[in-house]
Amino acid sequence: MRETYSVILPKMNLAELTGRLIVIEGTDGVGRSTQIKLLRPWLEQQGHAVLDTALKRSQLAARGIQQAKEGHTLGRITLSLFYATDFADRLENEIVPALRAGFVVLTDRYIYSLMARAIVRGLDPAWLHNVHSFALKPDATFYLRIGVDDLIPRVVFSSGFDYWESGMDLYPSEDMYESFRKYQTALLAQFDKMAQEYDFTVIDASPDIRTVFERLRVGISRALKGEPREPLFAAPVPEVGAEDSGSTEVASAGKADRPGAES
Amino acid sequence: MKRYGEHRFPGKLFVVEGIDGSGKSTQLMLLHQWLQSEGYGVVFSEWNSSPLVRDTTRRGKKKQMLTPATFSLIHATDFADRMEHNIIPLLKAGAVVLCDRYIYTAFARDVVRGMERKWVRELYSFAVKPTAAFYFRVPLDVAMKRILEGRSGVKFYEAGMDLGLNEDPEESFHLFQGKILEEYESMIPEFDLMTVDATLPIEDQQVQMRQIVKAKLTQAKRLRVAP
Repeated sequence: MRETYSVILPKMNLAELTGRLIVIEGTDGVGRSTQIKLLRPWLEQQGHAVLDTALKRSQLAARGIQQAKEGHTLGRITLSLFYATDFADRLENEIVPALRAGFVVLTDRYIYSLMARAIVRGLDPAWLHNVHSFALKPDATFYLRIGVDDLIPRVVFSSGFDYWESGMDLYPSEDMYESFRKYQTALLAQFDKMAQEYDFTVIDASPDIRTVFERLRVGISRALKGEPREPLFAAPVPEVGAEDSGSTEVASAGKADRPGAES
Repeated sequence: MKRYGEHRFPGKLFVVEGIDGSGKSTQLMLLHQWLQSEGYGVVFSEWNSSPLVRDTTRRGKKKQMLTPATFSLIHATDFADRMEHNIIPLLKAGAVVLCDRYIYTAFARDVVRGMERKWVRELYSFAVKPTAAFYFRVPLDVAMKRILEGRSGVKFYEAGMDLGLNEDPEESFHLFQGKILEEYESMIPEFDLMTVDATLPIEDQQVQMRQIVKAKLTQAKRLRVAP
């Protein structure tokens, strides 16, 4: 049956939530939303009803967060709690009803991104874990992993460096490139730590879009059938010739040497 | 990250708690006047007043979009903003900070709404511990009479209508406040709340309050405020 990370919200009947919850995690610019755009029709073709959802889209808090971020005036605890409010709103008003209706819910980021950003900004991991402990445990979390050197060109040639994605609040400097590099490096280290703690399926995101999509499809198919996670993703990927540059990274992030890390 | 605990800032923090109609705001206002006349740098901070978060809270309440979880989290967000931008800097600067409602309000309301006690307490663990927290204890009927005489009706969340206790707002308000009262009572020993009998004459309550505050301020640095 479905579980939470400890706290069960009032009026939430976990037994009713028969749908599947699939999380796509990864840092800014790694290609999460591109993959979700491809995954949705693929899942629908197979007859699954799909809800896709992302952070910062809740009815309640999206506008407030946007306004507050524009002013760059939010404190770190405040920002974290604002995002948690937004997440709770989406969980109760979008994700839970869809799961109750038997949908496959594809979510672009989850509590892990929220926690990683906050930990990098100096907040206490135990406190953050508690704040988000009402979250449902996903059926599977796919972590699109990329090294900072592969990430930078993607960001430069798409959206450019954003104030928050460069951690300018954290590393104020005139050189946005340096800030981005420092911030994303810290963020990636945090994600790698969480990959073990929260049992992510790690997918090397450095190859081309089709290759990543293929790997995601294999992983999601398994998760939907309730099959155990494919060991392929936890170990170095013996890839079918499409790409090979990133396979060593996958190996380092996937090794699970912390028994019972979840507390 | 700072955890809930004794702060070592030069300033002092006094908070008042109690159910609606307990008279706590009146008492805090009188204390404020007195401290100012004594020459202290006094700043007042009210529950649910962060300009950054207020619009979201207002929208959520107006459209009745809030669940126990989002009600709890949006108020914690508001509190965090005031803590980070207002209360802590003021305490560092040596001010006397007065709060009308503090974390105990959240502990009472959120738990009555069904959130776990432990979760809510941990949620607010970044808050600094008040120098003294006054709890204005009043029987439910007295408080109800004060409130219902003073205004035309109670608001949806104020009456705990989201809990579905009763379809009649006034009846729901009564039930809801009764449960909150129970939560407060259990917090008196847990957090060393200073209990004030809120059925006493206003003047007598104020005398008690000033005595305690005065004792706490004797070590505090006096700040001259510009006239």
